[in-house]
Amino acid sequence: MKKIILTVLLVFTGLVSCKEDFLSVIPETSLSSAIFFNKEADFQQAVNGAYVPLRSIYNDRNWLLCEMHSDNTYYSRNILFGATEQQEDIADFSVPEAKGLTANVHVLNQYRLDYQIIARANQVLALIDGVQFDAVRKNNIKGQAQYLRAFAYFQLVQLFGKVPMHTEPVKDREGSTKPLSTSDQLYAQIIKDATEAIAGLLPKTTQEPGRATKGAAQMLLANVYMVQKKWAQAEALLKEIVASGHYSLMPSYVDAFTTTSGNKNNKESVFEVQYQEGANGLQGNFMYSFLSRPMSPAELTPLAGTSNPQPLTGEGNNTPTPDVIAAYETGDLRKDASVGYVTLSGSLRSNKVYPYIKKFVRPHSLHNNHGMNWPVYRYSEVLLFLAEAQMEQNKLADAAANLNLVRTRAGLANTTATSQTALRDQIYQDRRSELAFENKRWLDLVRTGKAIETITAYGNRVKANPLDYYYPEGATTRSNAFTNIQLLYALPDVESSLTPHF
Amino acid sequence: MNQKITFRSGGFHLLSLITGMMFLCSSLAYSQIKGKVTDSTGDPLVGVSVAIKGTTKGTQTDVGGNYSIDAANNTVLVFSFVGYETKEALVSDQKNINISLGLDDKLLSEVVVVGYGSQLKKSVTGSVQSIGAREIKDIPVSQIGQKLQGQLAGVQINQTTGRPGEGMNIRIRGQLSVAAGSDPLYVIDGFPITGNIGDLNPDEIEDISILKDASSTSLYGSRAANGVVLITTKKGKAGSSVSFNVFTGIQEVPVKGRVKMLNAEEFAQFKKEFYEDAKQPVPAEFQNPSIYRDKDNDWYGALLRRAPLQSYNLSLSNNTSKSRTSIVAGVFNQKGVVLNNEYIRYSFRMNSEYNISDKVKIGFNVAPQFVYDDTPRTDGDRGTGILFNALHTWPVMPIYDDKGELTLFNRFPASTGNIFAYPNWLRAANELVNETTNTNLISNGYLEYKPIKNLTLKSTFNVELFRSKFFFFNPSTATSAINVAIPTTAASIRENVENLTWLNENLATYAKSFNNHNIEVLAGFSNQKFTQESTRLQADTYADDRLPTVQGAININRGGTNSGVQEWALTSVLSRLTYDYKGKYLMTASIRRDGSSRFGSANRWGTFPSVSAGWVLSDESFLKNSNKISFAKIRASYGIIGNNNIGNYTSYALINNTVNAVFGNTVSPGSVVTSLDNSNLGWETTKQFDFGVDLGLLNDRITLVYDYYRKLTSNLLYSVQIAQESGFSNFNDNIGEIRFWGHEVALNTKNTIGKFKWGTNANISFNRNKVIALADGIDRVYGTFHITKVGYPFGQFYGHISQGMYQNAEDLKNSPQVPGRSTVGSIKLTDQNGDGIITNGGDNDDRVIMGNPFPKFIYGITNNFSYGNWDANIVGSGSFGNELLVRHIYSTANLDGVFNMVEGVKNRFRSEANPGLGMYGTTVGGGNVTGIERDWMNSRFVADASFFTIKNVTVGYTIPKANKVFKSARVYTSIQQLMVFTKYWGGPNPETSAQSNGQGDGGNLSPGVDLSNYPVPRTFTVGVNLNF
Repeated sequence: MKKIILTVLLVFTGLVSCKEDFLSVIPETSLSSAIFFNKEADFQQAVNGAYVPLRSIYNDRNWLLCEMHSDNTYYSRNILFGATEQQEDIADFSVPEAKGLTANVHVLNQYRLDYQIIARANQVLALIDGVQFDAVRKNNIKGQAQYLRAFAYFQLVQLFGKVPMHTEPVKDREGSTKPLSTSDQLYAQIIKDATEAIAGLLPKTTQEPGRATKGAAQMLLANVYMVQKKWAQAEALLKEIVASGHYSLMPSYVDAFTTTSGNKNNKESVFEVQYQEGANGLQGNFMYSFLSRPMSPAELTPLAGTSNPQPLTGEGNNTPTPDVIAAYETGDLRKDASVGYVTLSGSLRSNKVYPYIKKFVRPHSLHNNHGMNWPVYRYSEVLLFLAEAQMEQNKLADAAANLNLVRTRAGLANTTATSQTALRDQIYQDRRSELAFENKRWLDLVRTGKAIETITAYGNRVKANPLDYYYPEGATTRSNAFTNIQLLYALPDVESSLTPHF
Repeated sequence: MNQKITFRSGGFHLLSLITGMMFLCSSLAYSQIKGKVTDSTGDPLVGVSVAIKGTTKGTQTDVGGNYSIDAANNTVLVFSFVGYETKEALVSDQKNINISLGLDDKLLSEVVVVGYGSQLKKSVTGSVQSIGAREIKDIPVSQIGQKLQGQLAGVQINQTTGRPGEGMNIRIRGQLSVAAGSDPLYVIDGFPITGNIGDLNPDEIEDISILKDASSTSLYGSRAANGVVLITTKKGKAGSSVSFNVFTGIQEVPVKGRVKMLNAEEFAQFKKEFYEDAKQPVPAEFQNPSIYRDKDNDWYGALLRRAPLQSYNLSLSNNTSKSRTSIVAGVFNQKGVVLNNEYIRYSFRMNSEYNISDKVKIGFNVAPQFVYDDTPRTDGDRGTGILFNALHTWPVMPIYDDKGELTLFNRFPASTGNIFAYPNWLRAANELVNETTNTNLISNGYLEYKPIKNLTLKSTFNVELFRSKFFFFNPSTATSAINVAIPTTAASIRENVENLTWLNENLATYAKSFNNHNIEVLAGFSNQKFTQESTRLQADTYADDRLPTVQGAININRGGTNSGVQEWALTSVLSRLTYDYKGKYLMTASIRRDGSSRFGSANRWGTFPSVSAGWVLSDESFLKNSNKISFAKIRASYGIIGNNNIGNYTSYALINNTVNAVFGNTVSPGSVVTSLDNSNLGWETTKQFDFGVDLGLLNDRITLVYDYYRKLTSNLLYSVQIAQESGFSNFNDNIGEIRFWGHEVALNTKNTIGKFKWGTNANISFNRNKVIALADGIDRVYGTFHITKVGYPFGQFYGHISQGMYQNAEDLKNSPQVPGRSTVGSIKLTDQNGDGIITNGGDNDDRVIMGNPFPKFIYGITNNFSYGNWDANIVGSGSFGNELLVRHIYSTANLDGVFNMVEGVKNRFRSEANPGLGMYGTTVGGGNVTGIERDWMNSRFVADASFFTIKNVTVGYTIPKANKVFKSARVYTSIQQLMVFTKYWGGPNPETSAQSNGQGDGGNLSPGVDLSNYPVPRTFTVGVNLNF
C-alpha cells in the first residue's frame, strides 16, 4: 500500500515540475523593449516615431498658439455652439492663469506633444552608439533625432521660457521629472543639438524627401540666432543654405504649398510636416478647422472637392482678420493666393461672407481627411531672415537684394526703403504677407518686441468693432477679452500637479 | 443535498451497526413497501427522499406524500427532506410504513460546499453563505445573478442593464479596485472559470456558496480578494426521475420611470422662446408650436415593444448502485423589449460518476452550450447607443414619412439650430447587425482513489473551451451614431475569439478522528493555463449592402484590424488543516502559494495564509438545556488574499511598432516605447478580519447570522499618472491602500408552521470604504466626473455646487462669477476657495465632492408562503443612500436646443420676473453661457438612487392528484420587476451604471453613471413543472 501511495505522489510531483518556464509568458502581439533597439532598422523606426507628434502639433495646436494668438486670425463666433472657450481664450488673450499656471488644454497638449518628440529622440540617442552599423547612416539617424529634439525644445523655450530638460530616456517614476531649466540652459542644448545635427544630417539632395536635412538644421539654428539677435552667426548659416544651391523659390507663390498628394517637399521647401490622405491615419484635417461655420455640404464642396461632404458645425477658427487682409500691399499676388471668401447661408450675421485661408484649401477625396503638408521652413523665409540679419548689421544693399527676390515673386516692385528703419519695417511687413497663417506671426511679434503694443491696439479694435471680427449682430466680446496679454504662455497646471518642480 | 444529509447525519451509527448485523443473518426476501410521509400536523410531505440505506436505490414521495419501494427484509429505509429531521425505519414483515417527520431542530447539520470540499455547516469557521436551487427555483429568469438579487447578505447584485444575458454586477463586501477587476471568482464544480456566468443555465445549478471572508477564500490565493462564488451543478439523485420545466412570459418596460422628455409641441415652444429670448427672429418652423400638437414622435418609446420569452428544461436523474448521472437540457429564447433583439441559449449538461470499486471512483462532467445574441447597439458611450440617442432626437422629427415608411434621417435647416443629423433609430435597430454567437464547453474528468482508510486522493483535469464570433454590420442606410447623414459609409467588424483554459488539480485529503479530536488535512497542487487568440477584421465602404463580407468592402480599416494572443499561467500549492474537539472547539488554517506569469519577474510568487476559529457555545453545558437558544456559535478569521486581475503583460515595457510616419508619399514604419517596465509588479493584497455569530432560537424557528468584517487592500495596481515631460503618461505600480469594513445580518424566521406556512428571509448589509493612501506625492486621482481622494470613500462624484441661477444684475455683481461667461440667469456656482471667481480645474479649482455612488446599506427580504397545495413567494431587494450621476442631462438639458430636452427645462430661467425653479438657467448667450451648467459637472447632475424593488412574486399550485403520466405537477405564475419604489428621476433603472473596463464613464474610478442603458422590463410569466 505504501508503495502505491509513493508512486501516486511521485506522479503528482512529476506533473508540477518545470515551473519557471511555465510561468514565463512573454507578450506575443507586442514587441517589448528587451528585444528592441539592437539593430539599425530598430533605430530607423524609432526615429520615424519621433516625427509623428509633429503631425498633431501642426494639425491641432500650433496654429492656435502662434497664429490665432495674434492679430492675423480670429475665430468666427457661432453663438449656437458652446465648449469653445479654450480656443477663444487663446485668440482673446484671456488664457486663465494663476501662479504661472494655466488649465488651457491646448497649451497642455502642445507641451506634451513636444515632450513626446523629446522622449523618443532621447531613446534613440541614448542607445544608438551601442549598436554598430554604417557611420553615415548612423549619423543621419542621430542627426534627425538631434534636429527633432532641438526643434521641440525651441518651440518650448519660445512659448514657455523655462521648462524641464530631459536629455536621457526616463526609466522609472523617480526620474520622470526635472527642475525647470533657464532659457539660457535650454538654448545651449538646442544650439548643441542643432550644430551636431548639421554635421550628421544628409543634404536635401541625398536625404529621403520629407526628412530633416542639413539645410533644415541650418535653418533651425539660424532661427535660434535670429531670436537671440546673433545676426552675424545667423547670416553665416543662412548664406550656407543659399550657397548650397539645393533650394530656390517656386516660380509661383501658390506652388510653394502642397496639394493633397503633389508638390510635396519641393525645391522651396526646407522643412515641412508630412501628411497623407487616406485610411492610414496619417492625414491632416486642419483645413476643416479653419472654415467658418455652420457650412452646408453645398458650400463646402467647391472648397474641399470631396464627393462625400458633411455639414460643418461648431465654431470656425483661424479666420483671417481684416487687419491681415489690409496689410497686403496693392498688387500683392500673395493676397489672392492666401485669402479666399465663402458665403455661409446658415450664418447668423447679416453679412454672410467670411474670409478663409486659401493657401491651405486644396481639393481632395475624403471628407475631413487630406494630405497637404504644413510648411515649417520655406526658402523664402531663408531669404527674409537673411535680409533681416543683414539689415540689422546695416548691410542694407545686400538685405534689400534678398528681400526683393521674395517681393519679385509676389508681383511687387523692389523695395523703396533706404534707411535701416524703413527697411526693417518693410522686411517685417513682407514677413507678415509672405508667411501669413504659417504660425510665424506671434513669435515674430515677440521676437521683434512688438507684441504688447500690437496686440493691445488690436484688442481695442476687436472690442470696439466686434461685427468686423465675425461676431453676429448684437453679440459682444467676452468680458475677459484681451485681459491677459503676456509674452509667454503659463505652464500647464495638470503637469504642475505631477511634478514637485513647478 | 438530501443524500448528503442522509449519509452524514450523525447519531445513527449504532442503529446501522445493528441493522448490518441483522442483515447478515436474514433472508433476502423482497417485498413492496408502501406508505405515507407526513409532517407533525399530519399533512403529506411531497418530494421526501426515501432511500434504502447502504444502497443508492430510492424514490420520492408524490403529492399525496405516498411512496412505494421494493425493499428486502431487514433493510433500512431512510426518509429525508430539507428542513425536516431524517428518520430511518427497519423493514421487517410489514407492508406499510407511515412516517411522520418533525421539523429539523438541527438545521445546522446541513452540509455546505466550501473551497476544495464540503463541511458541516455547524463546523464552518469562515463566512460562507449558501443557497440551494430549491430556494430560488421559483424565479423564472435567464441568469443566476437575477435569481440571487436580494437573497444574500453582504453581496450587492445590481442589474445595470436589461440586455438579455448581461449586466449583472456582483460585488461581494463592497470590494473594488482602482484598476484591477472587482468581479468575484466563479468556480463551477471546482473549476475556476475565466468567463462570466451570465450565460449559464440556472436549471443546471444545484447549490451556490458565496465565500466572503479570508478564511474561506484563501485557498483561492491570488484570485480570492473579490470573494469566491462556488457553483455546484446537479448530480444524480436517489432513484431515477425525469422532470420537465417550462415557462413562458411577456416583458414590457413600464412607462413610469422613463425619462420625461419634451413632446413635439413643447419642444417647438422651447425653440420659439429660445429665439425670442435671444431677440432673434423665430425660424418659420417654430413660429406656431401648436402645429405639432398631434405630431409628437416619442423616439424612445418607439424603440420599445412587448416581447415574449420562453424556457424549456428537461432533466433526468438516474442513480444505480454503481453510477450516478444527471442530465439537464435547456432551451431559452428571449426576445428583447428593444426592437429586433433576440437572445437564444441552448445548453446541455451531463454529470456522471462511476464507482469502479470501493476505492476508485471516476467522474465526467460535460457541459456544452450555445448562445446567440443579436442586440441592437443599445448601450454604449454617449452618442452611440440608440436608446441614448433616441432620448436626444427632436420630437418634431418624424419617425415615419407620409407614406408610412421609416424616415432615413432627419435634419432641420441650419437656421433652426439643428447642428446634428438624426438617423432613424428604428432603422438602426432593424437594419444593423450586431450579433454574437458563443459556443462554450466546460468539461472535467476526475479520478478519486482511496488507497487506505481515511485518505482520499483526487486528480482532476478541467478544460474550458470558449469560442465567440461577433459580427457587426452597419449598412449604408442606417447607423446607431448621432450626427451621421444617410446614406453613410457601410462598415463591418468581424471578431473571433477563442479561449482555452485547462486546469490540472491534484488533492490529497486525510481525515481522522480519535478521542473526540477530529482532524482533516488537505494538500494539493495545481497548474492552470489560459490562452486566448483573437482576430478582428474591420472594413468599410461597401459597394452593396447585400454583400457584407470583407471582399465586398473597398477599404480594410488598418487601425481596427488585428490579431491578438493573450496568455497567463498559474502554478499553485495549497494546504488546509481543519481540527475540532467534540465538534465544539473549531479551528481551520490554510495556505496557498501562487506563482503567476502576470507578476513581474522579480516578484513572481505570492503566499496567502489564513487562520480561523469557532466555538459552539450551545454545546456547552450552560446552554445545552436552554429552551430559547437552540444553537449558538461565535467565530473569527483572519487571512491574506490577493487579486491578480492586473492584465497579462502589465509588467513589460511595450513597443508600439505601428506609430508610422510618412515622408513624401511613402509610409515609413515607426516604433515607440509606449510604457515603462516594472519587474516588481505584483498582486493586490487584501488582509481581512471577520467576526461572526450564528444563532438559532426557539428550536431554530429563528436563525440569525451576523458578521463584521474589516479589510485592508493594499498594493493596488494602478497606472500612476506621471509627468508627461517624461514622454510617458503612466507607470504601472502597486500603490496605496483602501480600507473596507461592514456589518451583515441575515435573519431567517418561520413565522407560522402547520397548515399555513410562512417563512421570511431578510438580510441587510452595511459596506463602507475609505482610501487610506495613494502613491507618494499623490493624494487624489480623478475619474471622468469623480475623485478618489485620500481620507474619503472611493470614486466620489466631483463637481461644483449649484446655488441656482443669478437672479438679477445685482446678484450677478455681488456674486463670484466665471469671468467672461456668467450672465443674469446663468448658473451660480459656489466659490469654494473664496478667491472671488469660479474656476473649473487647476490650482484654483472650486469643485468639491458632491455625491456618493455607494449605498449606506443594501437589503433584501423574501417571504415564502404555503397553504395546502398553494404556495407563494415574494422577493424584494433594495438599496439606500446611493446616488447616481445623471450623465445624459449633459446633453438632454443642453439649453442650446440642439437635442430634445428633459421636461424640466420648461421651468428654466427666462427673466427676472420668470426665474424658473433654479434647476435650469437662461438660454441666452449660447454655449459661452449655457456651457457652464452643462459642461462643468455640478450638483444638479446628482440624483438620489435609493430604491426598493419587488424583484419577483410567484404564486404556485400543486395539482393534488397525480395521474399515470406524471408523478407530480405544479403550475405557477410570476411577475419580475413588479414595482420599483424610488425617487430617482434620471431614468427607469436606479440599479444602472455604465459598464466599462477602461478609465471612462463606468470605469473603476468612475462608478455610478447613468448613460441611459437598456431598461429592465417587467415580466409576466406562467410556468409548469412536471415530474415523471
